[in-house]
Amino acid sequence: MTGTPRYLQVSFALPSDPRYLPVVRGAIAPLAAAIGWDECDCRAITLAVDEALTNVIRHAYQNRRDGLIEMECRESSDGLEITLLDNGAPPDKSSICARELGCDQPGGLGTHIIREVMDSVSYETSDKGNRFVARKTLRKKP
Amino acid sequence: MKISLRDVGSVRVVEVEGDVDLGTSPAFRRTLFEALPHAATVALNLQAIRYIDSSGIATLIEVLKASQRLNKEFVLFGLSPAVEQVFRLTHVSRIFKIFQTEQEALGTT
Repeated sequence: MTGTPRYLQVSFALPSDPRYLPVVRGAIAPLAAAIGWDECDCRAITLAVDEALTNVIRHAYQNRRDGLIEMECRESSDGLEITLLDNGAPPDKSSICARELGCDQPGGLGTHIIREVMDSVSYETSDKGNRFVARKTLRKKP
Repeated sequence: MKISLRDVGSVRVVEVEGDVDLGTSPAFRRTLFEALPHAATVALNLQAIRYIDSSGIATLIEVLKASQRLNKEFVLFGLSPAVEQVFRLTHVSRIFKIFQTEQEALGTT
């Protein structure tokens, strides 16, 4: 057995079924609160994670409910890192676009939210599947 | 998510309670689109929404555009803090008619 971890790490393996989204949301908000974010930031982080999962369900698995999503939430010395792995269709990077601010078109909102809330976002595809990583740094209030 | 409807004069008031996400937004969308042809105004109460994601916001934008095509009014009232935050993040507040209370929303018709 390895030593006690210094930071919290939570892993989920879930089907690509929207009925599990509330379960994940129910875990992310308290995790963000434990790291030190206030209620408003916890809601925003929860929303960003939910949007990333929604993108996997809609785009990678094309709304199939039997795909596997592996999720890892890792607290770090200065914040939080979220990793999602899936085996669905690779993302079309040319179509991953945030919407124009204030416009009245419904598309691209989820990607906009993720980029607005998280400090860094990356997408990679390999023979192991698609990997989405988002990080957010906790800024100490003076 | 729970949805209920009631008519106040020529206004159909839609009340939504709970979470609007990828799993529940199809029912949310269907209810709003079904309400549009039956009233001059559809007023959506967002006070009891605990959570709304981009699919819910996209639905609101679609319903607004459909209401404009049909010459109907689509107004929102009672935004909960969770809803207000998503509206801020997505910068959509300016495209909707938003009121604090039902009385104010219905007074516009």
